[in-house]
Amino acid sequence: MSTNKKQKGDFNPLLRIFVYAVLAIFTFLTIYPLFWLVMSSFKTTNEFLRNPMGWPIEPTLNNYPTAWVRAQFSTLFTNSLFFTIVSTLAVIFLSLMAGFGFAKIKSKATPLLHGSFIIGILLTIESVMIPLFLFINLIGLYNTRTGVLIPYIGMGLPMGIYLCTEFIRSIPDSVVESARIDGASYAKIFLSIVVPMAKPVAVTLAILNVAGVWNEFMLVNMLVSSDALRTLPVGILKFSGPLSSRYGLQFASLTIGMIPIVIFYLFFRKEITKGVSAGAVKG
Amino acid sequence: MKKAVYWTEERRAYLLLVLPALVIYWAVIAAPTVFSLVLSATNYNGGPLFSASRPFDFIGFGNYTRMIQDKFFWISLKNNMYIVLISVFGQIPLGFMFAYVLHRKLVKFDDFFQTIVYLPSIISTIVVGRLWQLFFSAYGPFTEFMQRFDPTWQNKLLIDPKIAIIPVLFVILWMYTGTYLIIFLANLQKIDPALIEAARIDGATEWQVLIKIILPALSGVIVTSSILAISGSLRSFGLLFALTGGNPARRTSVLALYMYDTAFLHSPRYGMANAISVVMVVLSLILIIIVNTIEKKFGGSED
Amino acid sequence: MLKRSTVFLLTLLVIASVFVPVTFAQDKTVVTVLNYMDLTAPGTQRQLDEIWYQFSLDNPDIIVQREDLFLDAFHNKVEAYAAADKLPDVMFMWPGGRSTTLHTNGLVKDLEPLLGDFLDDYQAYVRAPQAGGFVAMIPSTITLSHAFYANVTLLESLGLSVPETYEELVAMVPTIKAAGLDVVLMGAQDDWVIQSCLFSMIVGRLTGDEKLEEILAGNAKFTDPEFVKSLEFYAKLYDDGVLSSKIMNTGYGEVKSLFAAGRAPFLIDGDWATGDFISDEEGNALFSPSEQKGIKMTIFPAIPGEINEKTSSGVPGVGYGMSSKIEAGSAKEEAALRLIKWLSGKKFQSLELETVGTPPSRTDIDLTQFPLEPLIIERIENFSASVLGSTYVLDDIFEADVFMPINIGLQEIGLGLSTPADVAKATQNAYDSWVK
Repeated sequence: MSTNKKQKGDFNPLLRIFVYAVLAIFTFLTIYPLFWLVMSSFKTTNEFLRNPMGWPIEPTLNNYPTAWVRAQFSTLFTNSLFFTIVSTLAVIFLSLMAGFGFAKIKSKATPLLHGSFIIGILLTIESVMIPLFLFINLIGLYNTRTGVLIPYIGMGLPMGIYLCTEFIRSIPDSVVESARIDGASYAKIFLSIVVPMAKPVAVTLAILNVAGVWNEFMLVNMLVSSDALRTLPVGILKFSGPLSSRYGLQFASLTIGMIPIVIFYLFFRKEITKGVSAGAVKG
Repeated sequence: MKKAVYWTEERRAYLLLVLPALVIYWAVIAAPTVFSLVLSATNYNGGPLFSASRPFDFIGFGNYTRMIQDKFFWISLKNNMYIVLISVFGQIPLGFMFAYVLHRKLVKFDDFFQTIVYLPSIISTIVVGRLWQLFFSAYGPFTEFMQRFDPTWQNKLLIDPKIAIIPVLFVILWMYTGTYLIIFLANLQKIDPALIEAARIDGATEWQVLIKIILPALSGVIVTSSILAISGSLRSFGLLFALTGGNPARRTSVLALYMYDTAFLHSPRYGMANAISVVMVVLSLILIIIVNTIEKKFGGSED
Repeated sequence: MLKRSTVFLLTLLVIASVFVPVTFAQDKTVVTVLNYMDLTAPGTQRQLDEIWYQFSLDNPDIIVQREDLFLDAFHNKVEAYAAADKLPDVMFMWPGGRSTTLHTNGLVKDLEPLLGDFLDDYQAYVRAPQAGGFVAMIPSTITLSHAFYANVTLLESLGLSVPETYEELVAMVPTIKAAGLDVVLMGAQDDWVIQSCLFSMIVGRLTGDEKLEEILAGNAKFTDPEFVKSLEFYAKLYDDGVLSSKIMNTGYGEVKSLFAAGRAPFLIDGDWATGDFISDEEGNALFSPSEQKGIKMTIFPAIPGEINEKTSSGVPGVGYGMSSKIEAGSAKEEAALRLIKWLSGKKFQSLELETVGTPPSRTDIDLTQFPLEPLIIERIENFSASVLGSTYVLDDIFEADVFMPINIGLQEIGLGLSTPADVAKATQNAYDSWVK
């Protein structure tokens, strides 16, 4: 602590004021719009029109139940949860499997196959959205749960395989070798040794994937047409889109869409921080 | 017999472990990429692909010529490049600065500031897009706010085609700086504090510590962050879709949006949309190769 | 730590969930519907309850699988379905315009032989052949895509009245601006709005339908002076201060609220915008019934040099069509027909009249029966009377490849990026390559 104090002391005060100023601006730019959003959700449309900036004079809670029903939030939440959970579990499991193969079984194919996943970290799914749409149509998975899940899993695999391969490489070879000598099959080694040890990387991966899939908009927007399969971002844009002249409902729906992920962040702040930085190590 | 030898337990296990991931991944990324390469050379405009009456003809590079003759392709490409620039020269320096001051505890409330800067990047792009659209709208709070100082002020931010992209870039800067803050912060924490301590005792200033110790240690991370920023900049579809929809007059379009419009907004032009897709994939690959080359020159201090 | 059994169960869950089939009871007929619906509009909940839910109660043997979309999302989805050869059984559609390919490519059925004397209860225009030369859907109304809403209360407070001619409107501009207001509001961030709600009307007045038909047939060009004249008048609206480029940073939904908040005395929108102003089921309204009396619904003032007077642009309204893939005489056809009849029936049209103020195409609905709000009465009685004729809406008679350059060009003119001549040329080029 004493060294910290000392360093603070000789850090150029002007620079410090500048830093505080930039941080203050950033804080204002984050807090004010979000605050404005939440505050406006407690106004009726008529009040918003008279008083778009100020504190609600006659706050109302009615926007929430109405928006909840009209935008079918129960369905949206169920679908978002379903896609997020299932794709995350699948990504973790498949990545651990492939990572185990890449890391602990020698094969000439590994550089090529593993490399193809690494490229995938940088290839954006956006760049293939139209062919993907046509392809999903072609194989008859348009507007099905499977047709959304498979792209989600495919999207999460590159990062998953990168992280899992690195992690499993760090497990000493001797662990695997001695189990082999004891006559254990690869399946047994995977399930009873690798999977139990992989909890930290699984958590990192889960965090990355949950945040990615929960907020994903484009795929569901394009690959799904029925209300019954829509997720939160798509439902919210549809509801609060260009046509809504009911400000109160619009702000309520945006707030509903924002709350869960903010809570998720506040709960898992440390893990998210770790996950994001782990994911970025190699790019 | 030979087959039995070939399929050793190792090989079988390898295959079983790797294959499921590989099949899904290739189906989602590789197959569409190849598919788009083929379709980009056709005039396919919809209809069942494999029916007796073939719904398309091969037209060579026709879609590509049509694309490069379209001014909206160039507008979109230019906007993508602006986003690359704001990512590399805006988010990364700003993210680094924040990470540095937070790590060195040069300000109080570091946890608070970290949360504030990072928060926007985890909110759905749709919510963020709608929020700022309402905020910047000609009659929105931003206009109200400015008119308190100057009642005659007119909000031309998202109207003047020369500057309409600026609010978009601002939102992107606001949204993603936090990601780089986190990345830099994590890597700063890996630098041995004793090293800095020693330099300080030797009388080095804060500035010298930054230049001589911290920046060289982070050069690899800066390069990888640039890769992330560049590839991330091709991902702005959802945000733009909700923020401006590419308007006014398509002046805030980006490649992904341009591709979407080409495929769906007119009568479908899937051939040309696929040509745009190919361009985007090639662009990503080129950027990856460039940055990888640079990384090799830097010696990849991160490995 | 993950136990083996847990891992096993999770794997099972993953595998099972991927293959969860969407199952239906076998003895019921499933009818898929692609519906056009604004879920935020005031009448929506009643429509869901009284039309769609009621249908499922009355027809337990039919399962309706409905998909609600709106604006571009709807059109995109239709294109996607058509591309994938997966059109739903029943679909919302226009008599032409963006639904043209459905009509002309034989993707929907001719309903007339199926409906028979059911059509006797409708206005005559319902039997007029649509884009494919047959009756593919029953239009629920005639929609005028241009209406000129005037806030008379606000005008009077400025000492002004609703203008009869364009010169009168221009003369008001300084007074209105001096009061710190805008002159005309439009929610034109989306590019279809100017073309559909304003420019089509201008073309109808200055260029005329005959010229458009010649252009469509290839016997005239968009670059001809008759069409350029319309673009030039549109450009003049900005020079005269009637329109401002701010309309292009105003969301289509936002604009009704802004008009209600008195940001400008005039609003240009479609006639359907009345639905956004009146009370919703909770009794909230942008204009309360008494305030609505201060709103006049009319059409744009007389334009100098117009060849058609007091016209608006319009299309026979929307309705529901049936996929031609449904086998003739099948149970599905019967079920789909029952649904279409219900959706074109007295109950639905009455509800549309009551909640949105849509003048019905059925002849057996008594207008005096409903507790209509003042703005709806204004729409049905005064507005309809003030329109002497209806001209083409550009996105109704031209294909997307041709009208998209107009949509974007109109925004470009407003932004000062293009001249009327540029836009005419770009549109003609688009037409030429479309003809090929």
